[in-house]
Amino acid sequence: MTTKIQVEHLARVEGHGGITVELDGSAVTAVRFDIFEGARLLEGLVRGRSYEDISQILSRICAICSVAHSLTSLKATEAALEVKVSPQTDLLRDLLYRGESIQSHALHLFCLALPDYLNYPSVTALAGDHLDAVTLGLRMKKLGNSIQETLGGRAVHPVNAVLGGFGKLPSTDQLIALREGLLQGMVDTETAIELLASLPAADFCHSETVFAALRSPGQHGYYLGDEIIVRSNGLRRSVPAAEYRSLTNERAVPGSHAKHSALNGRPLMVGALARLSINREGLSAGAAAALERLGLTLPSDNPMDNNKAQAVELVHDVERALATVERLLEEGLNEERCVPVPPRAGTGTAATEAPRGLLIHSYTYDDAGRIVAADVITPTALNAASIEDHLRRTVEQSPDQDVAALTKKLEMIARAYDPCISCSVHLLQRHHAA
Amino acid sequence: MGKPTVGLFGLTGCAGDQLVILNCEDQLLDLVGALDIRDFLMASSDNDVQCDLDLALVEGAVLSKRDEEKLIRIRQRSKALMAVGTCAVWGGVAAMDRALDRAKLLRDIYGEQGAQYDSLPARALHEVVKVDLNLAGCPIEKEQFLSAVSNLLNGDPPILPEYPVCAECRMREYNCLLIEKGQVCCGPLTLAGCGARCPGLGIPCVGCRGPADDANVASALTMFGEKGIPREAIAAKLRTFAPMSGDRS
Repeated sequence: MTTKIQVEHLARVEGHGGITVELDGSAVTAVRFDIFEGARLLEGLVRGRSYEDISQILSRICAICSVAHSLTSLKATEAALEVKVSPQTDLLRDLLYRGESIQSHALHLFCLALPDYLNYPSVTALAGDHLDAVTLGLRMKKLGNSIQETLGGRAVHPVNAVLGGFGKLPSTDQLIALREGLLQGMVDTETAIELLASLPAADFCHSETVFAALRSPGQHGYYLGDEIIVRSNGLRRSVPAAEYRSLTNERAVPGSHAKHSALNGRPLMVGALARLSINREGLSAGAAAALERLGLTLPSDNPMDNNKAQAVELVHDVERALATVERLLEEGLNEERCVPVPPRAGTGTAATEAPRGLLIHSYTYDDAGRIVAADVITPTALNAASIEDHLRRTVEQSPDQDVAALTKKLEMIARAYDPCISCSVHLLQRHHAA
Repeated sequence: MGKPTVGLFGLTGCAGDQLVILNCEDQLLDLVGALDIRDFLMASSDNDVQCDLDLALVEGAVLSKRDEEKLIRIRQRSKALMAVGTCAVWGGVAAMDRALDRAKLLRDIYGEQGAQYDSLPARALHEVVKVDLNLAGCPIEKEQFLSAVSNLLNGDPPILPEYPVCAECRMREYNCLLIEKGQVCCGPLTLAGCGARCPGLGIPCVGCRGPADDANVASALTMFGEKGIPREAIAAKLRTFAPMSGDRS
């Protein structure tokens, strides 16, 4: 007997996608993580545009990751044009990136994922019975946004981070306000970890997973670094960012969108859980304690642990952001101008860690600084094969085949990846074509 | 009278305008308390996809047959429809250079099978259905959104500026990047409402809110000319977020 389990429109995620699983008896015959976003063709539309316009256009790939896209774009253009920014700019970009991560993780954990664990359809329904949890989540989300507003000029599609530096540096008053918010954040993240530690276990899919993340040894950061690490069960491979294509040489598999990645032909998982598996030694003291409190063992074989990993990063980012702001207040900011960025021909590739995982922008410019080719590889596109793999295993490992119960598990697995479907559309469609 | 029934929808875009709504952290619970939100896929897994709506808020542009059908269905079930964000109001970044050969672009980016995708040239909502209200911005401004919704709840039309960013910039006494530095700033032609955020940071306006009805185009063009900025340079900037009237779909 053939059965079809379908989630026509996956709710509580960014963008438009669905899940289809087909079974013949108890054998899974097809798994699809479908993408319904229209193709905006932005990589094609930017051709011929000036290097000065690119980050503003390509940040529009995705709102929740707009800081990630902007900063990765700036990093790629600066690499192509052989410009080096100041250490202060690197530090402020790191802080801005952490602001996005705090906002994004708080949104995902409290507004999108938490309703699943407590059996509510939405965060607003959840607020009826668990107002404290919702206001806690919203306060942390707002903290992330206040960092983005202070450094980026606004919370979505930042404008203040530009080639060579920043338009306007934050004032002392702004930094003092951020410090106040972050001190409250230290208390809030502690409460958040207790709350998340009390949730029922989500334990219905296990598989040895291949993780990939940007190496960030001392800081567990998102912005700096040029080396991608792929690891699985003792195997470890280093890939320079400029050779990112060796990670994404996918090919289609009949009945699935599964891409075959570079490590032993198995799909890659990127995101918070991958980052913790690769950069654990850089965690702050509070984050290391949160990891223990949540009972998260690394490397994990349970994709639902990505939620716990995001919670650990929430603690880590608040702590690191506070340390940065305190340092800036103590040492003061250099009133430096942006480094001039004259046009020239060149190719540059940048890898960073968006909230949902590894993000790559790669550009080639001509002599006049016009873009000749742009390639963007997003975390959800990298994760697509792994999502399908884990959806398949969820069905295979379920003791019974009750459709309603299975559907909920499938949705929770897809949601645990915090998929960003606006982002993923490019590679997936190319992948369909393979 | 009961609470108005509302739906929030996204067509193709970055979901940034729905994110701005979710970013109203201090007002979110009051907002959802004042409205009867029936259909909001980005935030809820329990949606009534059939019911009639007093107000539909739609972000994103129409880029596929699927988007087009969805929008037509939303229009049929809604008394009023508000285009939310520059993509919905003008077409946004996906509508830049609409005159380009789309089939070729699809092939270049997705290979030969690109031609088979459900893919249409980007259109603003008003090019497909009747739109009652426009709230531009890439993304929209939180305060403007909240004030528009409050007005609607009181039965009043939203009060939205029609003048350009330049006016806001002058009111705030920011240094003029165009006159003083000769930078290509789209402020004289772009719809206000952002408080001249970018010029306030020393960054020229990129026109992300689309054109202003009340802009003095002739005077702006003269000013650009005096600064030696070629018309094509300003046109290329403006075309990034809203197609020029000459770029047909």
